[in-house]
Amino acid sequence: MQRDSTLSNKSPEKQTGETHSRRNFLAKILMGIGLLFSYGLLTVEGFLFMLPKRVKARTRKLFAGKLDQYKIGSIQAFYDLEGKQILIKRDESGLKAFSSVCPHLGCRVHWEGEKHRFFCPCHGGVFTEDGVAIAGPPADAGQSLFKVPVHVDEASGIVYIEVKDAKRRTMS
Amino acid sequence: MTPENSPSKKSFSQKFAELFPFDWELLRHAGSEPVPYHLKKWWFCLGGTVLYLFIIQVITGIALTFYYVPTPAFAYQSVAHITNEVRFGWYIRSLHRWSSIFMIIAVFLHLLRVFFTGAYRHPRQLNWMIGFLLLGITLVFGFTGYSLIYEQLSFWGATVASNLAEAVPLIGHWLGYFLRGGPEVGENTLTRFFILHIGVLPTFAFLLISLHILLIRLHGVTELRFEGEVIPEEERHFRFWPDHATTEIMIGVLLMYLLTILALIFPASLGEPANPNVTPVHIKPEWYFYFNYRMLKLTSLKLSVLLTLALGGIAFFWPFIEEWLARKFKIDDRVPVALGTVAFLVFLVFTVWESFSH
Repeated sequence: MQRDSTLSNKSPEKQTGETHSRRNFLAKILMGIGLLFSYGLLTVEGFLFMLPKRVKARTRKLFAGKLDQYKIGSIQAFYDLEGKQILIKRDESGLKAFSSVCPHLGCRVHWEGEKHRFFCPCHGGVFTEDGVAIAGPPADAGQSLFKVPVHVDEASGIVYIEVKDAKRRTMS
Repeated sequence: MTPENSPSKKSFSQKFAELFPFDWELLRHAGSEPVPYHLKKWWFCLGGTVLYLFIIQVITGIALTFYYVPTPAFAYQSVAHITNEVRFGWYIRSLHRWSSIFMIIAVFLHLLRVFFTGAYRHPRQLNWMIGFLLLGITLVFGFTGYSLIYEQLSFWGATVASNLAEAVPLIGHWLGYFLRGGPEVGENTLTRFFILHIGVLPTFAFLLISLHILLIRLHGVTELRFEGEVIPEEERHFRFWPDHATTEIMIGVLLMYLLTILALIFPASLGEPANPNVTPVHIKPEWYFYFNYRMLKLTSLKLSVLLTLALGGIAFFWPFIEEWLARKFKIDDRVPVALGTVAFLVFLVFTVWESFSH
């Protein structure tokens, strides 16, 4: 008994109470962690449910007429498989194609033939015939119109543009 | 069972009290809250005005959902159907539109009143923050509601705004995708905006409005005293029910008159249907986003988004920032008034500037 009292001078009731409270505390912590993880997982699942899968559209070549249809200095518009306008320009160096989507905030640029420029009506972005931004927010941010790969079959003179095909896609 | 206790011997009110054991004295107590004298003037009742307009929005909004179809193929058609064919459809839609505009104006004015009378100070800091969240919710209400029409301006507004969200630091890329429900504005965007507009936002608005009113009730309305105003002590306060409630109801009736007149003279119109391939030559957001729209034209995308977030953050935490400034630099009341005036004037100038520019 002497030894016991040196180890602890607390009454057995008090000791039992402490063990209980320690056990209660541990139980509460474990329950808390369990609740946190289970409801946390549910929250994450909820967010993932609301976030659609990102799909990488594969590209395909789209027929865009024959080379002799394009006069030097002219600009022609085509529509890709999603219905977006692709602008194709021919100059001395060959064919160039770019998207009509403004790189600033996604509006569609307009071709202003008399001013030889593309103009975005949303925030006043101005692009040269080559798609380079020269005024407005896209110029400040150094953004140009997105280039679209364009190919010419030398034997036949057929022009192809490489566009996204939403039907052929890979999940990521 | 003794005859006295048998259900047939009890009066209707006794029976009702048993079925619904509520202490009506509590309600009487809550209703007899003393209201300060200055609330006899309508311009101090703007918070109640917002609540009244919110109720109009809920009722007209529920009515509109009877016919609205949230898909790209039918959204515009269904709005046209409501406007042109449904009986009183034009009136309900116009009420919804004008009431939304009034609500935004009233929220702004309420915020200005609270700011310039210093009613956000201790112990009401939390209520200022809840009020500021409600301003944010009101603006998102306006934006999502306008996008649902799926006309040209609303489609491009949604495109610009969701791309704008991508410029938010850290979570931007994810946020833009989440809002649109894909890489571009389309089917998923419309259903998302619809659910936000009719479900998520009203729920949050309802909870925050309840909390806002509860805190007003717990703290009491800030009492304003004006120089030279002599009011006998016994008249300094009046009862909420029925005195103040009557003022609010009168304001409500006046608002209904105004909204109806505006709905008759300037009914809600409908532009060209959305065309994802052509951005209209003249494009502008709703007037309450002119400030941001002008900022986007004047600064870079990142800077304007950061400025908006920073200004919003400062305004949200202003009561605490002011306390800190007062402790650190011993500023007096004139500083917040001056800062508030400058901020309001900049907002006004940008809004007017944008409304006159092409």
